[in-house]
Amino acid sequence: MTRYIIRRLVLAIVVVLLVTVVTFILLHLLPGGPARGVLGVKATPQQIADFNHKEGFDRSWPVQYWDYLVRLVHGDLGTSYSMNASVGTLLGQRLPRTLLLSATSTLLAIIVALPLGVWQAVRKGKPVDKISTGLSFVFYATPVFFLSLLLIIVFSQALPWFPAQAAQGETLGALISQPASLVLPIVAGAGGVLAAFSRYMRSSTLDNLAEDYVRTARAKGTRERVIIWRHVWPNSLTSIVALFGYYVPTIFAGALVVETMFNFPGIGLLFWSAALNADFPVLLGVVLVIAIATVVGSLVADLAQLLIDPRVRVPARRAGATA
Amino acid sequence: MRRSRKPFLWLVASAVLLAGCAGVQTKHGGGGNQQVEGGSVSFALPPAATPNWIMPIETPGYTASYNAAIQQILYVPLYAYNGSSGAVGMDQTASAALPPVYSADGRTITITLKPLTWSNGQPLTSRDVELWYDLVRANKSDWGAYTSGLIPDDITAFHTVDAHTFTLTLDKAYNEQWFTANQLTEITPLPQQAWDRTAADAPIGDADRTPAGAKQVFNYLVAQASDLGSYSANPLWKVVDGPFTLASFTSSGQVTLAKNTKYTGKDAAHLDKVTFLTFTGAAAEYNVLRAGGVDYGYVPTSNLGQQSKLEAAGYRISPWNGWSITYVPYNFRNPAMGKVFAQLYVRQAIQHAVDQPSISSVIWRGTAKPDYGPVPQENDKTFLSPSQRTNPYPFDLTASRQLLAAHGWKAGSDGVLACVSPGTGPSDCGEGIAAGTRFVMTILTEGGSDETDDTMQELKSELSKVGIDLQVSTQTLDTVLSDSSGCTASGGACDWQLSYFGTQGSWYFPADPTGEDLFATGASVNFGQYTNKQADALITASNLGNAPQTMLDYSALLAKDLPVIWLPNPPYQVSAIDTALHGVVQDPLAGLQPQRWYWTR
Repeated sequence: MTRYIIRRLVLAIVVVLLVTVVTFILLHLLPGGPARGVLGVKATPQQIADFNHKEGFDRSWPVQYWDYLVRLVHGDLGTSYSMNASVGTLLGQRLPRTLLLSATSTLLAIIVALPLGVWQAVRKGKPVDKISTGLSFVFYATPVFFLSLLLIIVFSQALPWFPAQAAQGETLGALISQPASLVLPIVAGAGGVLAAFSRYMRSSTLDNLAEDYVRTARAKGTRERVIIWRHVWPNSLTSIVALFGYYVPTIFAGALVVETMFNFPGIGLLFWSAALNADFPVLLGVVLVIAIATVVGSLVADLAQLLIDPRVRVPARRAGATA
Repeated sequence: MRRSRKPFLWLVASAVLLAGCAGVQTKHGGGGNQQVEGGSVSFALPPAATPNWIMPIETPGYTASYNAAIQQILYVPLYAYNGSSGAVGMDQTASAALPPVYSADGRTITITLKPLTWSNGQPLTSRDVELWYDLVRANKSDWGAYTSGLIPDDITAFHTVDAHTFTLTLDKAYNEQWFTANQLTEITPLPQQAWDRTAADAPIGDADRTPAGAKQVFNYLVAQASDLGSYSANPLWKVVDGPFTLASFTSSGQVTLAKNTKYTGKDAAHLDKVTFLTFTGAAAEYNVLRAGGVDYGYVPTSNLGQQSKLEAAGYRISPWNGWSITYVPYNFRNPAMGKVFAQLYVRQAIQHAVDQPSISSVIWRGTAKPDYGPVPQENDKTFLSPSQRTNPYPFDLTASRQLLAAHGWKAGSDGVLACVSPGTGPSDCGEGIAAGTRFVMTILTEGGSDETDDTMQELKSELSKVGIDLQVSTQTLDTVLSDSSGCTASGGACDWQLSYFGTQGSWYFPADPTGEDLFATGASVNFGQYTNKQADALITASNLGNAPQTMLDYSALLAKDLPVIWLPNPPYQVSAIDTALHGVVQDPLAGLQPQRWYWTR
């Protein structure tokens, strides 16, 4: 187990490094460079040259990348060209907001989606299944921006129940102190995830209900409720747990739209504005964070699967013994 | 079996509680003739605009108009200009000094400060102006507003007469109106008794009076200004002489100003508080506006169809026209098309194919105004020549076709014109244009705006009718600016042919709309390297002489000579203002005077 985790961690570091290499190359392939956009139309050639020298753009790409890695190891992610703050500071301010939004949305989606999926599977083909399946498809097919707009129009403009924008506080405490302002963004963020996970859970539960162990349990006279929640539920979860790890980038992508619609300056929006301004240090910083989150997400999912599913654990032990 | 309804009731109760936490939405509208002192106003900043610089000397990259607008509320500029009355002129109430007095030879200016007081109780003195002069002079290459040869280069000496009077010696005599409007407006007195130090633990002194010391002081202040998160707490930024003082400045750019109770001028604030709200985009702002979350916001052009709903909700809708022009520069040094663009008849034919009235009324829903020359078409008409006023080249495809046909251009099988008569004769294509040259040109344009996309398609459509193939290349604004500005007389990247960066106006002028930055040979923003000796002479004369006719001649010349393609000029924004909020004037120079806003009932 330990060797497996170490191997996965090493692999994770390699993946993150490769992501930074690819991002670094892509950014430097962008035409023009950032100087003119950052300094404005009146910038003199000397000011542009000074900027390029200060930021190291007059050196070769490998040297620039090496410098970046050295700074990274020392915890220095650089300074934003356009936001008058270090990248570390910006990430420190924006990441908790996105995590609050994404984590709450995802948690809400999972809490509703997993039992819903089981419920649909158990009542397969009945009206409740058909209705909830239809609704799931509607939510799944609805773009996040449209759902957000709909929520704002109905619950903020027509029925002024909730604010049209998220809380603007600087700290998590300030955000949480205005819970009403988080309702619509969280619901908007949860919609698509809820629909997707309920479909996966329904499918996974149906697969397990068709397994021999369920038929055996029923033959032995085990109560249906026990079969569902003690046997089928954990087995169905294994595929969902694996799926969750790979869903992290999607959650970040959804956060960008929700943040834009609800005026919530989080990491998604930071990435978007940095992309528009060719703010290379911020772009690299955000990509690094998302890469780490994705790699860690899939690692945690794999480990959770190891814990939940003995069938996965056994090959791991064998692999460890022969290594 | 009866099922429990507790979970359902719990959910309903939570929703009601949360909705209750949201509080009552702000109601807008109403008001009357009775002025109310106090209160607060929320003001929506432009989409994605996040104030990020507080010091009134901006380093390159921090010269955005919203930064300057907030700075001017905190730190009273030596001279403020304002165009909200219909004429762009000095706003004496918002200025820190009495009008300047020029000597007979025009080379010495005597300036007397008003009896203003800093919020720490110290009086505003000549020494505060001297600090600005010393810092900018010693660090001019690090000042974002610096243009070689202009301020501070054009001021050779600062002399203190007394605590409230000083003189500036100029390197030569200038147009007094231009110098006051475009040069002295750059000066902002700084609190010398609070800022003149080289480090946080260094004593206040006269370090700025030596170039080396001025660099140290400047570096110290820039380092403080580069820590956005500390603005609210940093005592440096608490010392102000404007009608408002800084209450908070968040790292995401939301700024709250509170009434400066120690303000001693004649432009005191009526409101207790003004909050500048930041928005991720125009859609987010509009959603909040529709929900009543903003007192003074804006309506995206695409949402103007809902004007009546906003008016019913208590807002008045008012376009805010900028002191600006919008255009597409030609790259006269482009290897493929530079020689073609150099022909005046070509530029005339292209301008004839631009349907400005339709672009303004259909694409911009009437909020953009046709623009025919180098000075702003709207607002103050002082500088507008009769030629520019009446449009020398109205939309006329027949005239466009005739001009090209008369100079040796003939349509090929694909309908695109090609030069069939090379040479320099009156019926030939012109110097440097080879036989067979096809009239295909590419415009590099900024993306992200429906109005800009539609304008480009409209241009492409009309130009195709006269046989010109316009190819549209959409990039980010940053890329458009980078690619458009690299072409120099000595070479450089000259691949671009036409460039558009005017979704919010291509160029905003200071008070005097002279052309030294735009159309003078070698000017910093003369991206296409346009050169015209007559224009250069008029620009120089507009900077140095006092004759009003000069600007009219300049306007007429460039309206006819077409250094660029003139396009409709979009408004700064279309504002939605609470009808109960009075005292609001929309300054074409993009300045804000929230001290004059007040609520009524």
